Amino acid sequence: MVVRGPAYLWNCHPEACPELAEGRERRISFSEAYDQVRRELAAAAVPEPKAAEVFAAHLEILEDPMLKEAVEAELEAGKPELEALDAACSGICAMFSEIDDEYLRARVDDVRDVFGRLRNAMLGISRRHEVPAGSVIVAEELLPSDTAEIDFSSIAGILCRRGSSTSHVCIIAHSKGVPIQLGVDISGISDGDLVSVDDPMVGPSSIESKVRAAGRKLYVNAGSVDDIRAAIAAGADGIGLFRTEFLFLGRSAMPTREEQKALYKEALEACAGKPLTVRLLDVGGDKALPYLPMPREDNPFLGLRGVRFLLAHTELLEAQLGAIADAASAVPGSQVRVMIPMVCTVEEIRRVREMLNQPLELGIMVETPAAVLDAASLAAECDFFSIGTNDLTQYVMAADRGNSAVAGLYDPMSPAVRRAVELAVSAAHASGIPVGICGELASDPRATDFLLSAGLDSLSLSRL
Amino acid sequence: MVSAKTVINAPTGLHARPAGELVALVKSFEGSAVKLATAVRSVNAASMLSLLSLGLKAGTEVEITVEGGREAEALAAVKAFIDNLAD
Repeated sequence: MVVRGPAYLWNCHPEACPELAEGRERRISFSEAYDQVRRELAAAAVPEPKAAEVFAAHLEILEDPMLKEAVEAELEAGKPELEALDAACSGICAMFSEIDDEYLRARVDDVRDVFGRLRNAMLGISRRHEVPAGSVIVAEELLPSDTAEIDFSSIAGILCRRGSSTSHVCIIAHSKGVPIQLGVDISGISDGDLVSVDDPMVGPSSIESKVRAAGRKLYVNAGSVDDIRAAIAAGADGIGLFRTEFLFLGRSAMPTREEQKALYKEALEACAGKPLTVRLLDVGGDKALPYLPMPREDNPFLGLRGVRFLLAHTELLEAQLGAIADAASAVPGSQVRVMIPMVCTVEEIRRVREMLNQPLELGIMVETPAAVLDAASLAAECDFFSIGTNDLTQYVMAADRGNSAVAGLYDPMSPAVRRAVELAVSAAHASGIPVGICGELASDPRATDFLLSAGLDSLSLSRL
Repeated sequence: MVSAKTVINAPTGLHARPAGELVALVKSFEGSAVKLATAVRSVNAASMLSLLSLGLKAGTEVEITVEGGREAEALAAVKAFIDNLAD
């Protein structure tokens, strides 16, 4: 989508705009600035959950022993305060820039942002922005704390010279439906100039608007209660996949039914009456639980995982189903859907339903070739299908997605996988149950037309 | 001091969210100094920046060492955390 509006030049960071800091004298020392910034970050009250996360992450970086140690080492080496700060910042950033991972490299922004804040505090710089409604914000670069200050509901778009598609500003702009264009030559743009922003990810051609135009449901995948809040705030129709592994991993004993109930209750409350699809614990030989040791398997992807693991540890399954049912009855008006992973047979659904023993919606992930080939029988036993294209692609194409030698075969849009999706959809509809998709394919704009024409009732995206 | 070696199995390596969880786990063992070392260097596991700076990817071997406090318990917990990294 292309939007136009008057430019508003946003240059508050000395990091992004060195001339702002040039010729200024230092007002306070590093250690005074450190305490001041710590107070500011701890007190930052931000209504937007994603922006609040930014400040929490920045506080963590500030309090990280490495930051203080790096600055103090430079000070001890005899550098003046501002130089010591800059040297420590470049040192840490250089270490990160070498990392061969786009996500981690993007976190350099957060480190530079925290150092920029310290620098501003030392120089006594503070600047508030008043952006006229309908403006296009034009910046060299927008760091995470800039992003937290922007009122996305009142601007037309954003142009930046620097930044990546995984940066905070890009993620948040897209979650708000605001077009953003990166890598733009902004030299020569003055305040008030009419500028245009071209962003194919936003507007009538985006996944969101296509799904809405087709009258289908737009769900979001969530891995935490915060994710659920953010999704509902962004206008999702519900949660198409709530992963529960985080409750079970990284701890030394199984979570009790009570502990689980408290979390599911919080999740249902965050969902505000919209459907919450809770996937039962999905682990296996490649991701085992410390308190339930599993024998080593030669081939964990064909081993005891998903529902097979749950049915082999019924005490665990019983506690989880009980906790979900308890939470559902504790939150009036809530809509919980229980989803079984890795189903291959009718018997697996029957055993889980028997153990659930509550009139809750029970559905399955369609992610094995068996589930596709016998979809008609499975559909007769459950209340919904959700196609997990990540594993389905791997199993249908017999190609390990992590093995670069066969990466070319791992294609969720290959004819065989598309045919599998179509078969699952027609079996579900023949039985009168809804069918959605919660794999990564749902978030790929190149797949949207196919998924809608295949008849999927809902698309669950990785985020809105 | 106790130590153990393990390998990062998670396909995405040790990225920010699990690194944050690991820092929280390490901090819960008060009085224990926990370090993570690769063939290149050794860092303080209570520092998220240090952990991320190791750039731990799938298949990297790491050595965990714990000094002070409940050494054996801390070592077992950190090793279990790393062994169970899923994504």
